[in-house]
Amino acid sequence: MTDRFKKIWCTDFEFRSAPGERPETICLVAHELRSGRRLMIWADELRRLATPPYEVGPDSLFVAFYSSAELGCHLALGWPLPVNVLDLYVEFRNLTNGRELPCGNGLLGALAWFGLDAMAAAEKEEMRTLALRGGPWTADERTALLAYCEADVVALLRLWPVMEPHLDLPRALVRGRYMKAAARMEDLGVPVDLEALAHLREKWGEIKTRIVQRVDADFHVYEELSFRADRFAKYLAEQSVPWPRLQSGALALDDDTFRDMARAYPALAPLRELRVSLSQLRLEDLAVGADGRNRSLLSAFRARTGRNQPSNSKFIFGPSVWIRSLIRPEAGTGIAYLDWSQQEFGIAAALSQDPSMMSAYTSGDPYLAFAKQAGAVPPRGTKEEYREIRERFKAAVLAVQYSMGAESLAVRIGQPVSAARELLRPHRETYRTFWKWSDAVVDYALLRGRLFTVFGWTLQIGEKVNPRMLRNFPMQANGAEMLRLACSLATEQGVKVVAPVHDALMIEAPFDELEVAVATAQDCMRKASEIVLASSPLRSDAKVVRYPDRYQDPRGTRMWDTVWAML
Amino acid sequence: MSDISPEEALSPTIDLNRLRLSQNFADQVGVKKQLLVVPIRKPDRQWFIRVRPEPDWSFTTATLTIKEERGSETFIVDRTLWEFLPGELVPTLLVVGISRQSAMFVWPLRLPGSDGRSDGWSRSALAAAELAKTHWIRVAANMPAGAYDVFRASADLPEPEWPEVSFQRVIELAFADRFIRSVDHPVVRRLRGQM
Repeated sequence: MTDRFKKIWCTDFEFRSAPGERPETICLVAHELRSGRRLMIWADELRRLATPPYEVGPDSLFVAFYSSAELGCHLALGWPLPVNVLDLYVEFRNLTNGRELPCGNGLLGALAWFGLDAMAAAEKEEMRTLALRGGPWTADERTALLAYCEADVVALLRLWPVMEPHLDLPRALVRGRYMKAAARMEDLGVPVDLEALAHLREKWGEIKTRIVQRVDADFHVYEELSFRADRFAKYLAEQSVPWPRLQSGALALDDDTFRDMARAYPALAPLRELRVSLSQLRLEDLAVGADGRNRSLLSAFRARTGRNQPSNSKFIFGPSVWIRSLIRPEAGTGIAYLDWSQQEFGIAAALSQDPSMMSAYTSGDPYLAFAKQAGAVPPRGTKEEYREIRERFKAAVLAVQYSMGAESLAVRIGQPVSAARELLRPHRETYRTFWKWSDAVVDYALLRGRLFTVFGWTLQIGEKVNPRMLRNFPMQANGAEMLRLACSLATEQGVKVVAPVHDALMIEAPFDELEVAVATAQDCMRKASEIVLASSPLRSDAKVVRYPDRYQDPRGTRMWDTVWAML
Repeated sequence: MSDISPEEALSPTIDLNRLRLSQNFADQVGVKKQLLVVPIRKPDRQWFIRVRPEPDWSFTTATLTIKEERGSETFIVDRTLWEFLPGELVPTLLVVGISRQSAMFVWPLRLPGSDGRSDGWSRSALAAAELAKTHWIRVAANMPAGAYDVFRASADLPEPEWPEVSFQRVIELAFADRFIRSVDHPVVRRLRGQM
């Protein structure tokens, strides 16, 4: 199918980028596959070019390995993005997703996977250091850097013939289309209150102890800066909180458990925030450029589900949610956080074609609708009248979405396992078509050894299979497809998407354009859901913040207020 | 996987709907649950159940129930043997029920004897089975009353999904090893004091 392209350009840029800054291009090497034409161009000449030195129109194919970096160089140079992008990193990930890769999924790993000699493309530390050192470079250094850059292009040329037979080109181009959106988002970055960040960085060391004292006043589980498990056990006993334990009998103190328990017991949220902040927060690592934009690699397609997996410490949407309060739109602008309402429930309903589930989603309040369908709430019952029952059914829906069994749900709702089982039972009874479909997903995976999304993002099933993960894959991975498509559509329509956030988008616009931008982005989300699900669209919600207000995640507000008060 | 033409694939205005891969995994893999066992039992007091309503989905016969420490076992007996088991056989209506969890079972319902008399348990069970042909119900023993209480679900619950199987097959599965065809059957021999 690639025969249809008149030109196929394999491309690599050498660049350096300080944390949070746009890439500074050093050189470019590009080889055209059919003619053998070679381009090796140094930065000063690249900056003089208004357009790329190769064809980027509909008849040409742009090939790169992890292309958002190359496309970021296009944007930094003010060049248009190619119409057709084929990313061999993404396609290699798609080919091997779920498999053990002895040499990783980088360029070397891909060459090794296909049994190709990877020595020539091996990263040379001195070359990396030379690139990062910055200019001016001597003539010899330039020659060496160009040769280094060309080695990666040559590796691409060798990878091409072995990967081409595996390509599902139309869908590969849909993934390449997202890499363009990713490049635009990485280029734009999230607006951060630079002054507040500088202040926080300066004072964090000093105030840490005081923050611990302040937050710990409600818990008494810290000894100076050390979390004491014995004290925490005493607190849990006093508060009658049924905390999960390890097989050894010790309290499970990993962050996943803390996050789940903080959801079930919101009073614990500040303690979780504090622990994450003390153990993982490296304010110096937060990649914020001199222009106050948080830019970091989104690591598109890194997760098994095809989701982005940016660095927790460099990206502002890492695990310390209170840090998100540093997000503040620039003067004269606003930002909007847009997410699909009950996205996973909607996806499950549409893909399984369960009529009861679809009608629950359409009702606007699937949790209350579920309670009604199961006969726990009368048909005319309202959310206000049956709040408690609705909450129980909501817990059951979320438990199914998180693939929780009765034991885990029992911990989460602080009820006996029998009560949790009684909560899960109506889900199976009410949504039988969904469960049949979900069983078929597992059957298919085990029989055929793979699962895939509507646009072909594939999971290979290895020997170690977790059926719960398999059940969840269609919801999560198609959710990722939906987000990618929405980002592609929105950025192509000129909406400034500053970041994808799990299953949501954050956009920005000047005050007078904000309303239109929000409507356009929501329209793109609607279209993306319609296309991915081939059904009626999913709804979305918008939370708008205008300068000088700052964005806040409700889970981190208390911690932010505590920290800010000390500053 | 490339199920669209090259021209379409490369068109900048490609219709993404044409690229969509079906997520109907059941159609693609064709795994069907096989019905291998059908228990003979009363519905559990916590089950909401329905009864298959068609006339050809019930069967009147004589059954033999053996009560053991671990519970009871119900057998059907070949008509030619009825005369050998006087006083042991009970006229029974066999109906097929299903729970909300899609568990199918054969429900043996005691019919009035030759004298036309029956107790509260039998009468209420028959009435419950009749109601279960059109409504989801739950049946629970009421010991002081000597009858079953019947609870009808008020919610608008969906109709049951019956497995694709014939009544004949259900009965075969249920009574596979509980059909007494000869007087040499160990149960008959025991009842006749022959072992």
